Amino acid sequence: MALLAPAVLVLLVFFVVPVCMLLIRSVTEPAQGLGNYAELLQSSSYRIIFANTFIVSALVTVVSLLLGFPLAWLLAILPRTWSLLLFGIVILSMWTNLLARTFAWLVLLQTTGVINRTLVGIGLIERPLPLVNNLVGVTIGMTYIMLPFIVMPLHATMTSLDPLVFRAASLCGATRWQVFRRIFLPACMPGIMAGALMVFVMSLGYYITPALLGGTANMMVGELIAQLIQSLLNWGLGGAAAFLLLIVTLALYALQLRLFDPLKQITGAR
Amino acid sequence: MLLDFDRLGALRWVLVGIGVVIAVYLILPIVFIVLLSFGSSRWLAFPPPYWTVRWYQEFFADDQWLTSIFVSLRVAVVVTVLSTLLGLMAALGIVRGQFPGRSLVRAFLLTPMVLPVVVLAVGLYALTLRAGINGTFLGLVAAHMVIALPFSVIAISNSLVSFDKSIEDAAVLCGASPLWAMWKVTLPAIRSGVAAAAIFSFLASWDEVVLAIFMSSPRLQTFPVRIWTTLQQDLTPVAAAASSLIIGLTTVLLLVGFLFALRRRL
Repeated sequence: MALLAPAVLVLLVFFVVPVCMLLIRSVTEPAQGLGNYAELLQSSSYRIIFANTFIVSALVTVVSLLLGFPLAWLLAILPRTWSLLLFGIVILSMWTNLLARTFAWLVLLQTTGVINRTLVGIGLIERPLPLVNNLVGVTIGMTYIMLPFIVMPLHATMTSLDPLVFRAASLCGATRWQVFRRIFLPACMPGIMAGALMVFVMSLGYYITPALLGGTANMMVGELIAQLIQSLLNWGLGGAAAFLLLIVTLALYALQLRLFDPLKQITGAR
Repeated sequence: MLLDFDRLGALRWVLVGIGVVIAVYLILPIVFIVLLSFGSSRWLAFPPPYWTVRWYQEFFADDQWLTSIFVSLRVAVVVTVLSTLLGLMAALGIVRGQFPGRSLVRAFLLTPMVLPVVVLAVGLYALTLRAGINGTFLGLVAAHMVIALPFSVIAISNSLVSFDKSIEDAAVLCGASPLWAMWKVTLPAIRSGVAAAAIFSFLASWDEVVLAIFMSSPRLQTFPVRIWTTLQQDLTPVAAAASSLIIGLTTVLLLVGFLFALRRRL
């Protein structure tokens, strides 16, 4: 147990204490009480930001799932070499600098960017599409970042399935579609739910990507918090927004732990 | 049959098609930014009129860029050493310890991974301002420790779980002191996990930007923060060159990590 002390101590001082400080400031500045929380929940402009955060997060989760499911499936069934290669690409994209990737998307997606020019060039569209500084840009950029986080749990679930079950089902006369819908999909459900919840929770707090690729019309809570505290020095309101975000995140995290214990999978602890 | 590539029939080509598209989606921005950094166009047009290393020259001629790289490297190295050490101790405590609330401590150690970084960043901002260490080396290291530690704990506990403790016990029975047995038997057996912990800790610190934005001062900026402030001003190819350098270092480290992972599996 003494072995755990240093790590726990570091986290207590630099993680628990700061969060508690935020909570205290949110109910004491500028005046004691829940005024900051009331302001956040009552002001329509803040409500729009919160709603927008949920919409973007949900959208990113759905798109990540749609792309991540076939990708995880492919990773599970490809011959070893190809599967390793594809895995390498996923890992590389996951660990390449966030700013570098977001910057790349910013340049790729702008009206004079490669994607628009190509689309116009091959005659698919007449005028450049607005792909950046809006919901489309944020979704593309954030999905890109979230994809590995949904592929990992899905892949773990799929590789733990017993192929014989599918053989048995088809021997008993089930069509391919029936096997997919009635056996494969339900069996993957824990992975789907774990991954989706994880992506949703992580998206809620995103800051860099929405700030660079999103427009002013679809600000997210992360940006709001940074702006309130860093530019406006409004510690009370910023702290309250941070705390609301924290509570929602922790609640969803607790739900995730209760439902699947994803940490058990990745830490391997028994 | 659904999990057997050879028996998927036509569906397999649909899947492979989707896989190729996603692989391109994942790799495109990385390749693209590296290509752009060698392009001559000031306005990041592609394909550029000609290829050049001009932006790299500008990059290396600028003291501020180089200083920020050294700040990042120094922070990352200190964080790597501390996080690997503390991660090893914590992993031993979690995997081998038998005490009530063990799973709670485990969940606590990993919480920084799921928390919104912005919340952590503003909280640490408040703390470091009050403690007078905002904008200092210590503040940066402390902040990066919080996010590096969970990766380290995970990587080391993973390899520790698959190591049979009775081998270490046997060494002790044969006369080794517990610490010596640890050093000579256990540590070599889990070295790939320790190496992975070090690499992930380094990358977590090297790649971190949100915390660093709040922990940096104009005098002490990490590399990603410098890119961030540059991007706020304009889209310059120098930022592309800087990004490419980061990508290069990350790729090398990942390849090394990948080799370690492969060796563990074989």
